[in-house]
Amino acid sequence: MKPDVIVVGGGMSGLAAGVGLAEAGASVLVLAKGAGSLQLAPGTIDLLGYAGERVASPLSAITALAERDPGHPYALLGADVVGDAARWLSSRVADGPLAPYRYVGSLQDNMLLPTAVGVPRPSALVPETMAAGDLRQGGRMVVVGFRGMKDFHPALIADNLLRATGGAMEVRATQIDPPPALDGEPGTLRLARALGRPGVAEALATRLAAVGRDDEVLALPAVLSIGDPHGVWETLQRVAGRPVCEIPTLPPSVPGLRLFDTLRTLLRRAGGRLVTGSYVVGAKGSGDHMNALRVHVSGGERIYATRWVVLATGGVASGGLTLDADWRMRETALGLDVAGVPAPRQARFSPRYLDDHPLGRAGIAADRELRPLDARGRRRWENVLVVGAALGGAEPWREKSGEGIALASGHRAAQLILVAERSASETAATKVAQPIA
Amino acid sequence: MSQIEADLLVIGGGATGAGVAWDASLRGYRTILVDRSDLADGTSGRFHGLLHSGGRYVVKDPRAATECIKENLILRQVAAATIEDTGGLFVSTPADDLSYGDQFLQGCSDAGVPVEEIATDEALRREPRVNPGIRRAFAVPDGSIDAWKLLSALASGITEHGGRVLTYHTVTALHRDGDAVTGATVRNTRTDEEIEVTAAFTINAAGAWAGQIAAMAGIEGVTIVPGRGIMIAMNHRLVNTVVNRCTMPADGDIIVPIRTVSVIGTTDVEADDPDDLTIAQDEVDQMLDAGEQLVPGFRNARALRAWAGVRPLFRDARAQGSDRDISRAHTLLDHRERDGVGRFVTITSGKLTTFRLMAQDTVDAMGAQLGDPRPCRTREQPLPGSERGEYYTLGTRLRARESDGSDPLVCECEMIPRARLEAAMVDQGTVNLDDIRRALRLGMGPCQGGFCTYRATGILHEVGHLDGATADAALLGFLQERWKGTWPILHGDQLRQSRLDDWIYQGVLDVEHLPDWTAT
Repeated sequence: MKPDVIVVGGGMSGLAAGVGLAEAGASVLVLAKGAGSLQLAPGTIDLLGYAGERVASPLSAITALAERDPGHPYALLGADVVGDAARWLSSRVADGPLAPYRYVGSLQDNMLLPTAVGVPRPSALVPETMAAGDLRQGGRMVVVGFRGMKDFHPALIADNLLRATGGAMEVRATQIDPPPALDGEPGTLRLARALGRPGVAEALATRLAAVGRDDEVLALPAVLSIGDPHGVWETLQRVAGRPVCEIPTLPPSVPGLRLFDTLRTLLRRAGGRLVTGSYVVGAKGSGDHMNALRVHVSGGERIYATRWVVLATGGVASGGLTLDADWRMRETALGLDVAGVPAPRQARFSPRYLDDHPLGRAGIAADRELRPLDARGRRRWENVLVVGAALGGAEPWREKSGEGIALASGHRAAQLILVAERSASETAATKVAQPIA
Repeated sequence: MSQIEADLLVIGGGATGAGVAWDASLRGYRTILVDRSDLADGTSGRFHGLLHSGGRYVVKDPRAATECIKENLILRQVAAATIEDTGGLFVSTPADDLSYGDQFLQGCSDAGVPVEEIATDEALRREPRVNPGIRRAFAVPDGSIDAWKLLSALASGITEHGGRVLTYHTVTALHRDGDAVTGATVRNTRTDEEIEVTAAFTINAAGAWAGQIAAMAGIEGVTIVPGRGIMIAMNHRLVNTVVNRCTMPADGDIIVPIRTVSVIGTTDVEADDPDDLTIAQDEVDQMLDAGEQLVPGFRNARALRAWAGVRPLFRDARAQGSDRDISRAHTLLDHRERDGVGRFVTITSGKLTTFRLMAQDTVDAMGAQLGDPRPCRTREQPLPGSERGEYYTLGTRLRARESDGSDPLVCECEMIPRARLEAAMVDQGTVNLDDIRRALRLGMGPCQGGFCTYRATGILHEVGHLDGATADAALLGFLQERWKGTWPILHGDQLRQSRLDDWIYQGVLDVEHLPDWTAT
């Protein structure tokens, strides 16, 4: 089978592109090296949390950012695309395998959710299981940890939230025993799997009902199962009689895994294919068209011919970009030029960890149709689109814009390819039709 | 202001000062050891970890070579638990002068360093990653020594023998009564509390900072030239034997396997300030290229972090032709003879391998000046933890883990179980994760604190009953400490790891916006 589109990368941007294309009828092959980067992310859809100051209204701030910083990926995409993409994702999750689990929130109004170290963190769309943690509501919260869980420290969270909210909230911490029959130390995944088993949520809910006061929100680590988060969350709220929220933990992230499972299922449902354990080792092209990819799959190498390539391999963290020992940066799948890299003798990093780093915004430069640009700023390939963290010009981990950039660029790439395919087929149809006319 | 009386005040908690305090405590002197920071936070904790056989010096400085091999054999007895018996190789790479090997053999024989020339095939069988083009190879009894374990054992020994160790206490004034030093005022840098130390004798073991201490006693001309050298730790043991280039001592001529890493060293750049620990890009490149000579592929291997240390090289401003008088052998300045200031000596320069000998000479000099000579016991008395004379082995932590596997690991890279971490926190009473790192190697593995920084902060907050602000400072301080050593060498997989840490700490946890935190 010759796919219409090969998407390289199984994170948010690649899966957003793949699902969008497959659901529109394209033949899609997604190549992923591992489980994708979604399991590393908190599972929230952060559009823009910081642009210097903390952002209250993400879509408006994205418009301002795009005007101010033409090299930013949001300047290529625009706020309308970001909004469309976010609404699209919400609708897809609501139709997905975990429904009625869904995302809630507003594109004009960031929530402030507690992080696992007790910082109020801005997010636009969040899993319903996190929404009760919105710190803008004030009120009372009790952060509940599981004894022995090393990746969640309720007392530290509560201390910092108290100070961060400046007395507007009452926050305290407590610990309870983890559910029985965990078969090992209470790690994030082990807890999530246990809570997915029959009866465990009810047992936990009874324990939670005895914790704290009637007017306190119960904040738990994000472990309310991978496969039935809505059911577990509802059970806890019903039995405890109070709102329950999840706080995202260190990787592996359970809400991230849910999103990965959702998108993967939607892709397959629409006829798309996902091949994990594969990575691109070379490309063949002629002129400005890439015709085929040489791909390492289990057992050897295969050549995949294709009409389109969506590069969604991510940035440095995902291995999509790498800096070699001679201080040169490479894009690892297709060998595209990387922009924004300091010369070998120039400073790449600043001595202070939380400062701006010269290398921080390095990535692929692209035009508004997401085609990669070479070192001279010229479009290199007509049928390659670059999406997600591979795009340069942003520091998404600081801006809290990672999912927004990935989702919007992936969604936009799908739209661009569908439009181009439609006009190509119309052109072809016109050619056939002409003699008759 | 509180007061302490002692027979001896030792200034400087590196190997030399702690060695002096251990030696003096064993001889029955009531001893106080002070350091402005943690033990081994200066030069002692910033070297490559080599226990010299003496081979490195047999041609250039035979006397130093003889001292090294004698001390090497003593430390293997009294400090065994801090030493890994890796053995050492000297190899002639294709770029090296073959005739140096003959000088080297003769030098070893003259200096008493056991040596055996082995076939290059045999050397490559032992160390398959070493440059296959080597033309000669010599085996010597080099080893690696863990400075933090050593300092920790010395501190336990000092305390067990009635001495006191005051870390994070800086000397603000030295006191003189006429022509004698009588003690010092020290300030606790965490509480700002001042302590008046009255001592019958004071020993300046402040290393690269010894000139500053001597000046406080009104003594001029103790000029210590800080010789800065950088080292790079690679995330594997690329070699399991210490591998030296068989040439005259030069930059980047040694790779030392220590604990879970291997360290290449070093450079030598004269610095103006002993606190200037800059790591220059050209020095990093120089080390990586030098590593490539010994182990092909070194340049592209995964580098974990880089650091700089400063050798204290003594230049006596009172001697003639000062530059040629710079010595790497140790220097003992009896200030009564030199400057007419009694009850005060300075011990500086030297090597970690010879710290015990330096301590012995220094305490002997004190005994002579006090007219109270007492015999040295450090040659026979094992340090706490080394009583059984068993070397440290790489598998020690894994063995402990396998025999007690139920306690969750907080730092997977260095296999630190939670109970051990909590015990160290209680024991040290510290609010600083870097102190815990020196005690347990927290955050020193491939992920460089990516996961354990958060976990250890949460546990420290709970165990140490810290308030949120103090816990946040511990977290941010440790992230900065780790960054300090990683950014100069970040590339390849280590950059990738670091970016994952960015996503965790800045992305998921958003530590940049912890309450009350302001950029400093």
